[in-house]
Amino acid sequence: MYEPAAKPVIKKRGLRRRHVLVGVGAAAGGLAITKALGLYNLSSQPSLPGQTESPTVAGIDWISPLDKPDAQVAHLLRRATFAATPSEYQQTIKDGFKKTVDRLLETKAAEPPALAGADDATQEKPIKPQELVAWWLDWMLRTPTPFAERMTFFWHGHFTSDFRKVNLQTPFIYWQNLTWRQMSLGNFHDMLYQVTIDPGMLRYLDLGTSTGKAPNENYSRELMELFTMGVGTFTEDDVRAGAKALSGWREPVTQAMYDALVARAQQQGRPAPRNVTPDTVKTGVFEQQRAYVGGVKFLGDVRQWDTRAALEKILTQESVAPFIVTKVLREFVTDQPGDAYVKRLADGFRKSKYDVKSLMRDVFMSPEFVAPTSYRALVKSPTELMVHMAKALESPALAKAIGLAGQGMGQLLFDPPEVGGWPSNASWISSNNVLARVNFAQATLTGMARIPAFKDAHTIHLDGVVSPATAQLLNSSPDDATRWLILLASPEFQLK
Amino acid sequence: MKQLGGTNGLSRRDFLRSGLVFGVGAQALASGYAAVPDVFARAVLSAKNAAIQNDKVLVMIQLGGGNDGLQTVIPISSSQYRDFRPQLSAAAAKAQPINKDVGLHENLKGIKALYDSGKVAIVQGVGYTNPSFSHFDSIRVWETADPARRQQDGWLGSAIAKNYDSAGHPLVGCACGTTNVPGMLRDLQATLTVIDDVKTFGFQGGQNVENVMGTLYKGTPGMYGALFDSAMSTVRDTVAQLRTSSAKYTPKGNYSDKVQLVYSSKNQLAAALQLAAELIVTGTGVKVLHVTLGGFDTHYTELNRHDQLMGYLDSAITAFHDDLTAYGMADRVMIATWSEFGRRPKENASGGTDHGTASPVFVIGDGIKGGLYGETPSLAKLDQLGNLSYSVDFRAVYQEILASHLGVDAKEILGQSFDRVPFVKAPA
Repeated sequence: MYEPAAKPVIKKRGLRRRHVLVGVGAAAGGLAITKALGLYNLSSQPSLPGQTESPTVAGIDWISPLDKPDAQVAHLLRRATFAATPSEYQQTIKDGFKKTVDRLLETKAAEPPALAGADDATQEKPIKPQELVAWWLDWMLRTPTPFAERMTFFWHGHFTSDFRKVNLQTPFIYWQNLTWRQMSLGNFHDMLYQVTIDPGMLRYLDLGTSTGKAPNENYSRELMELFTMGVGTFTEDDVRAGAKALSGWREPVTQAMYDALVARAQQQGRPAPRNVTPDTVKTGVFEQQRAYVGGVKFLGDVRQWDTRAALEKILTQESVAPFIVTKVLREFVTDQPGDAYVKRLADGFRKSKYDVKSLMRDVFMSPEFVAPTSYRALVKSPTELMVHMAKALESPALAKAIGLAGQGMGQLLFDPPEVGGWPSNASWISSNNVLARVNFAQATLTGMARIPAFKDAHTIHLDGVVSPATAQLLNSSPDDATRWLILLASPEFQLK
Repeated sequence: MKQLGGTNGLSRRDFLRSGLVFGVGAQALASGYAAVPDVFARAVLSAKNAAIQNDKVLVMIQLGGGNDGLQTVIPISSSQYRDFRPQLSAAAAKAQPINKDVGLHENLKGIKALYDSGKVAIVQGVGYTNPSFSHFDSIRVWETADPARRQQDGWLGSAIAKNYDSAGHPLVGCACGTTNVPGMLRDLQATLTVIDDVKTFGFQGGQNVENVMGTLYKGTPGMYGALFDSAMSTVRDTVAQLRTSSAKYTPKGNYSDKVQLVYSSKNQLAAALQLAAELIVTGTGVKVLHVTLGGFDTHYTELNRHDQLMGYLDSAITAFHDDLTAYGMADRVMIATWSEFGRRPKENASGGTDHGTASPVFVIGDGIKGGLYGETPSLAKLDQLGNLSYSVDFRAVYQEILASHLGVDAKEILGQSFDRVPFVKAPA
């Protein structure tokens, strides 16, 4: 009863949207819509009764402004960074797209100030999760190298770990954040080794307790399934062989952790543990006697493996480049990257010997990045959303509030829901999350002593492209506080 | 269909399925997709539901990470069990025997009491052919009830879309104690809501802001437009429903979290089940609920962690059942557990276990015909990867839930029929 009635119109819908997207068939419908979407005389024009009726636009796409240089730059800032304050935006517009890409890519990641006490975290003095989260958010808001920070956030979702399992009684999850930032624009090859022996990762995926005698498969599997090759590209035998090949690592013990251990022993009248000594490295420690000795067949080759050789072998697999490229494109360009696009960038990624900077340059300079189909084709994660809000309102002091609000929207930093990292795009949209996003905008504005003038915020943050409903509400808002609420809570602002 | 006409007569399902929002295959799998209902869903099958609606409620509990069946329903008399698990088999001596071969984990005391009163069905050895050892892949199989991996809709979302007219009743499908849409509930035609915390589920700024948001989220263009608009309309319907719910609720079970929180059990099960009880008791129209307890991916120091998880699960379910009993609703509500896979019989060097296959499903409620179903998995006959063989297809369990408890057409949702696992006392 339902399906047959619906079927004949599917094609119409598909065609119609495509027409709008490529601008071919947009002549008739498109022009009218452009007009409807325009925000003319925003501050002076009063709301007129009768103009408030929105035309039905369900199924009609945004009219992409990405043929205009200013909009291209704003688009880049929303995706390659955590968006911009009005003054950052003005400066970037002056620089233009190409120069901005150069600046973002070629500036070495700036290090955040140290989180007090984190290096010396122990059972007695653990890192406080809310301080760790606010520390990172503060740096997202203030860093002079926002692209490196955005990539650190990307890697945090890709090579993920959570503070619950890693535990805040060690500095490991804090170190992981510092390491990911240092590696964020380097070589994927180098990063993968660093990831494998990262103390937080050794604990999160159990490689730190795996031995050649009775290997733990957790890291071996997720290394191939989630970090490099993708599901279905390896066998169960490869998982088991990989676990053997990678075994032999343990977590380091910091001086502070060692001292705390000794102090605890003394308190309890026990002798200091003799089999533990403090390590100076901030990586895992390899112990040959715990490693697997002997040949195993891994991804087709039989030999004695070590960690580097096993990672090399993984990186020779055809599936790695398209897997990583697809993940990058779904985060930075479009939820549905086409096969040819993926292949083109994957070929380049391989040719560059997995140079991340070169891949990201290819991404931002690709015609697909500014294609109409990429406009508002991604949903901001809660972190991106709230950091953009703080930048729009020029309120860097919001870091703590953002940290507290993240959990209710499904994104408490350092605490991804699963080993696969964060959800993406449509998966962020639920009744709970849409409400929490709107409430954060409302609470933030209510809590501000002075709300900045709205001026051309709709241009800076939304490219002046808004739905009839948003236009009507902005036009009829009595004051700037209301205009800000409309803008920050709008569906447009949820997208990037 | 009138309402559909108002939006160009187009089916949102077909619009979305045409690939504009979600792809198929690995990428869609990796991201999952949100099913947020909207006005398009509102015209669905109102004629059908009058005949099939009963007053039953289903609460699915996800044991995220892969629950170790051999540490849950423990093969107490098996010497192979001790051989495979030198450390973990310490649990056998403390288990609560239910026959000479198997015993429930020592911390499942409340569930054991319910079992003894005939209210718990334990379906053993539940799994599927060619099992996946990937969390995400196997979760998807269980969520969509489709080992062939062609389906994108969750089996419960599909059941809602096909059977319940959810116009104005946004809580028919509800995920409690979480922020995102769980895969089992997602279906682009199903209205469903997600409530992390009922106390904060409302508009800050009150009615004014709510009205403005209702206007703001209308006719939103773009590929996510319908999703955003429908999510907002669901928010408003949910707020209205919560506001007008008749009864007052005070918990009559002990939901306090006595058990220490395990590292990644970020979904607080007791709190989520208390929320579920509140929604059931106050007559919000909830029908199918989903809650999650994480932390079951016990690759290391499993003995402690799994003990804690069992205690956590037991106290939350016991409190929930006590609560429903006190409100006289325990005969209407079925609780069922699911997990993407069990774990490897042989323990690893970290005192944990790696990904495995078949594991038991618990079905609990006053309408349940208690006892053991399926076969106790044999440790003597492992497959070539050293894993357990399954004896009951997980979809046979779904079939009994759908047909005998909810009273809907199971074949329409599962695509085929299975041998009955008759754990429902008086089938609908």
